[in-house]
Amino acid sequence: MPYLAHGSYRIRYELEGADDGPIYVLVNGLTQYAELWAGYRSALVARGFGVATFDLLGQGASDKPSLFISQDDQVAALGLLIDQLGRRPVFLGGISFGGLIALRYAIAHSDRLAGLVAMSSFAELSPQLLLLGNALRTGLILGGTSYLQDLLLPMNLSDAWLGPQLGNLEAVKRQGWLTNDVYALQNLMESFLDFKPLTGQLGAITVPTMILNGEFDFLTPRSLHESLRIHIPDSALVIIPRAYHAFTLEKAELTTDLLARFADGVLAGKWKGGKSVWIAPEEAGGPLVPFPSDQDHLRAIPRATEPA
Amino acid sequence: MTAFLGPLDSTGSIPPQQQTRVAAFLVSAHGALARQLAFTLLQPIKAGWQTELNAQFYRESEIVSLLLRATSWVVDPELLMLAASWEAAWLPRPVRGLSDRFLASAIDTAALGHAVHGAIRPAALLPDKALAEDPFVMALRRIEFESGRIIQAQILFLKGQDLLPYRDAVNAAVDERHRQVRDLWDTMLKSIGVEGQAKANDPGSRL
Repeated sequence: MPYLAHGSYRIRYELEGADDGPIYVLVNGLTQYAELWAGYRSALVARGFGVATFDLLGQGASDKPSLFISQDDQVAALGLLIDQLGRRPVFLGGISFGGLIALRYAIAHSDRLAGLVAMSSFAELSPQLLLLGNALRTGLILGGTSYLQDLLLPMNLSDAWLGPQLGNLEAVKRQGWLTNDVYALQNLMESFLDFKPLTGQLGAITVPTMILNGEFDFLTPRSLHESLRIHIPDSALVIIPRAYHAFTLEKAELTTDLLARFADGVLAGKWKGGKSVWIAPEEAGGPLVPFPSDQDHLRAIPRATEPA
Repeated sequence: MTAFLGPLDSTGSIPPQQQTRVAAFLVSAHGALARQLAFTLLQPIKAGWQTELNAQFYRESEIVSLLLRATSWVVDPELLMLAASWEAAWLPRPVRGLSDRFLASAIDTAALGHAVHGAIRPAALLPDKALAEDPFVMALRRIEFESGRIIQAQILFLKGQDLLPYRDAVNAAVDERHRQVRDLWDTMLKSIGVEGQAKANDPGSRL
């Protein structure tokens, strides 16, 4: 099990695929662990990409600082991993908290990246997100990891996914519960106590950026992704039909396909961000469709686009 | 060596030898915390977080009482030596970089509490098929659940504004107690054929 050293702390990581050529670096969400990317590893390697995954500080098999984890340390740990990949084209993707860490890295080190994929991500804490985050932290404190999972599962996954799992939810939760410690999750959540919005710095992200947002994402809704689209110069927002916040778990095949197509497009010089808005296909391999230009993509009810 | 307690006996229970060793360790650790908290109760309560100390004293005592009653105890001669080494480990330790002895003592006590409640996850040792209604199983689950709440007083104190000027010293003290508690816990687990929980400390390949 390989580790990187960040000061006195160790970061567990895994590399798969060829030693050269383009590589995806994937960053976990707050309650996740690197094994959740296992399906992405095999699928992306089969399409010619290397894949690097790791446990953030405080997660899984990485060290869990006992009292404080700063987001700067997470960005530094991610930097260590990217630094050891050499000069190959690096595509960085992150989900939720991992998307925030990826955005922070891209703001400071766009020159090291070939492309960025921000999934269910945010650059600011809206009042809703702030209050939801506080409530989730209280849930963790009062009810432990299991209760936090109980809150997150119905919030972040669809009925279509949850329905067949209803009799098996304890097994679904077990690995995450075993892997994550209450105090470490709490430290990760409390890394937001001194959080400052990144919105004003997003213009420093100069690489092609694909923003993926589930159609029904409740935790980080469209408005937070819209802020990314508006402020990242070479961006495109892709809305994933019928998806919630945790679509990387629920729609892994589709998401993998979108990641591979994005990187292929960038490497072939065909990527055109232009702050455009797209609708992803329902299934992997289908066409991406431009969001109707006469409709407002921020609304669920059909509404004509308001004049600028 | 496995990651979980067991194999379960014919009735579906954790083997009494394992129960005895695990429970003895937990009684020693939580008993030490209860004793330390008992001393703090002699002082007047001046800050809000100190109200937690009263609750914590009784919760630690309840954990000890629960384990004494819910464990299938067997004779374990090695416990004499082991318990002595555990009790020695819980003794107060100096906190480097702090000249205020009273504050250093409070930080060390909180650091030990943080480590016992944070680094030890007894319920995570239970195999999938452990009987949910078994008293020992229920006790381990309850202890882990309660630990997630009890640790909050230590977190509030150790991460509070009052200790910000001593952040490095506090961090070092807590990290040290975590290492100590994890090492003792893992050594005890290995002695009953269970892989330790401190996988992150595995000296695997490192760059």
